[in-house]
Amino acid sequence: MNDQKLSQYPALPPGSTMLKTKLTPQQLDQFQAELDALRSEVAADLGERDATHIRSVVREVRLNAVVGRGLLMFGFDPISFIVGVCALARAKILENMEVGHNVLHGQYDWMGDPTLNSQKYEWDIVCDSGHWRRTHNFEHHSYTNILGQDDDYGYGLLRMTGDQKWTWRTLLQPIWYALLAIGFQWGVAIQDLKLGRWFKGRMPKGELAERAAPFLKKARSQLYKDYVLFPLLAFWNFPRVLLGNALANLIRNLWTNAIIFCGHFTADAQVFTKAEVAGETRGGWYLRQIQGSSNLEGGRWFHLLTGHLSHQIEHHLFPDIPAPRYAEMAPRVRDICARYGIHYNSAGFWRQYGTVLWRILKYALPVERRPRLVDA
Amino acid sequence: MTTSLNQHLWLGLSRVLRSHWLHPLNDADAWERLRVWMNPMWSRRDYPARVLDIIDETPDTRSFVLKPTARWPGHRAGQHVVVQVEINGRRVHRSFSLSSAPTPDRRLRITVKRQPGARVSGWLHEHVRIGDVLRLSAPTGRFAPAEGAAPLLLLSAGSGITPLMAVVEELHRRGDPRAIVFVHCCRTPTDFIFADRLRVLAAEWPNFELRVHYSASAGRFDVRQLSVLLHCQTLVCGPRALTQNVETLFLAAGVKDQVRSESYSGRVLPQGDATQESFGVHCSDTEQVFTARGDTSLLEAAEAAGLKPAHGCRIGICKTCQCTKRSGTALNLRTGEISSEPNELIQLCISVARSPLELAL
Ligand code: FES
Repeated sequence: MNDQKLSQYPALPPGSTMLKTKLTPQQLDQFQAELDALRSEVAADLGERDATHIRSVVREVRLNAVVGRGLLMFGFDPISFIVGVCALARAKILENMEVGHNVLHGQYDWMGDPTLNSQKYEWDIVCDSGHWRRTHNFEHHSYTNILGQDDDYGYGLLRMTGDQKWTWRTLLQPIWYALLAIGFQWGVAIQDLKLGRWFKGRMPKGELAERAAPFLKKARSQLYKDYVLFPLLAFWNFPRVLLGNALANLIRNLWTNAIIFCGHFTADAQVFTKAEVAGETRGGWYLRQIQGSSNLEGGRWFHLLTGHLSHQIEHHLFPDIPAPRYAEMAPRVRDICARYGIHYNSAGFWRQYGTVLWRILKYALPVERRPRLVDA
Repeated sequence: MTTSLNQHLWLGLSRVLRSHWLHPLNDADAWERLRVWMNPMWSRRDYPARVLDIIDETPDTRSFVLKPTARWPGHRAGQHVVVQVEINGRRVHRSFSLSSAPTPDRRLRITVKRQPGARVSGWLHEHVRIGDVLRLSAPTGRFAPAEGAAPLLLLSAGSGITPLMAVVEELHRRGDPRAIVFVHCCRTPTDFIFADRLRVLAAEWPNFELRVHYSASAGRFDVRQLSVLLHCQTLVCGPRALTQNVETLFLAAGVKDQVRSESYSGRVLPQGDATQESFGVHCSDTEQVFTARGDTSLLEAAEAAGLKPAHGCRIGICKTCQCTKRSGTALNLRTGEISSEPNELIQLCISVARSPLELAL
């Protein structure tokens, strides 16, 4: 975003992490009605265009996977290796972000296509779909950025705000973060195991095994596919395929992690306490979704590769509207926000990601929460 | 010996090919999509059928002559198929009777009356051209005359004539010796579907008698005036009111086993703004029943009745509570959408009943 555009919106005190607009109950109702109307308008317009889009992305995923795996298997030279890895990584990224994540939200359930149905889809990642529907669709999307309720807030590993507890381990959090980013698919895959509770001995016996069963099954099939089946099929080329697959998974992990961390951990993304959200109306929920999320700006291909999570704000407001629609909804959401004096957090990728990395470094130190700077 | 060995080998091979150890190479969905993308007739799911001809039967009724692939399992006269079409990105299913008897050239015919407000029939009329491919389910249903020597009465109203046309063709092909009376009821002579074909049959086939009742000129059709009614093996197809009437008469006469019926029910329309009313909800997977007031969410009502449907957020975001509504009308409180078509997905936590419901729970 250029500076001129920024100036339309209330300026933030430098380094501030507290910018919460409070609306009166009447304003909140009106605000809710406007967003509801926007949602209904788009929902009524869903059709052919959206169906064609998701099907063409599925085709692109398959094409990329076939080309990528083919080049890794049958090529000999480094160029085909690099192209193969990129194509496979692209297939995995598109599949996870634009197809898997969005289909699992039920964005395409209205099509009545069983292969694109939220309850049946299984994606190309070690995280089991059932787990994901619970931790992400339900917990994260309902309790977005509520400390202690939204496990995505720091993944039980990182201290992203002064309101979270600091321990000596937190000092090393840049390292924890790097490890999480490298193995991000595993991070999300074990989220529903609630290992934190288990470590503290707060989990009844047997529950862990029960929780782990779907994860283990999914992990086995993913590991088998990328590190046994395809390498074996390549015969003498198997080290090349093995390495290529590992790299493709790594690229996917780093990319998805960066995009997802930009969603809720940028400098201006707010956190909430349980007390704050008690008795929240849907208008209040909308407001929290906007204030807890941040958007990334970029071109069409960039939005597609993020699964349109670059429109995190719109996604959190309307998680079951097909993601490509967010781009059309964004200017209108932004306009509504401007009218109610709500900060709309949007900037380019490096700028937003920079603030995320900065927060990781900053809160590794025992800095406490700041007093509220703007509390209108 | 060799055949069974071959069979074993073949079975073994196909099991290996379908084994999960080969996943994703044998991802059935992906292969299906590729086949359909190359040629819709290559689908191995459902039964694709090419439209060979389109015949205007009456001003609002069209027949589609279809040629399925070699996989088509064959049908019996009186059966119906579910046709799947995609309308504006949405897959919609509707059942239609096959209006032709099985023939050696394996052609099928469905006959579609265009109903105001009915999405699928309207779409078929407007969008399907010769050469297009329709997707059919396997044929189902057992609507056929009983064997025996008793005379047959075929009774239909409106588009209820379609399965009976197949039955008549079949009886004619077999040279069935029974006396057959075909009574059809429609509004005017122009609304008489298959008029020419039936008149030709009546002229050349001595034991076939055709009677037509035009309600626009002769008034409402009353089954009780049919003197032959209780003396024949009867097949009746038409709106529910008609079939129910006929069944009650047979039941009262103590000859219920002499009638077979098939009816088409219209959509269940919302019954006013019935927030205070209670409706029965039938969970057809678990055979449980509960009542839901028009102002409590279906999730709450189900829980109050001791059921435990899956749920998460309870505010309409996560879709954990989503389930298929097989029939009835529900209102989505969050979006104000009314779902009255069969087999639509609804979210229990934000939906209320507006009619008795059947849920896939
Ligand atoms: S319980 Fe989450 S949508 Fe109904």
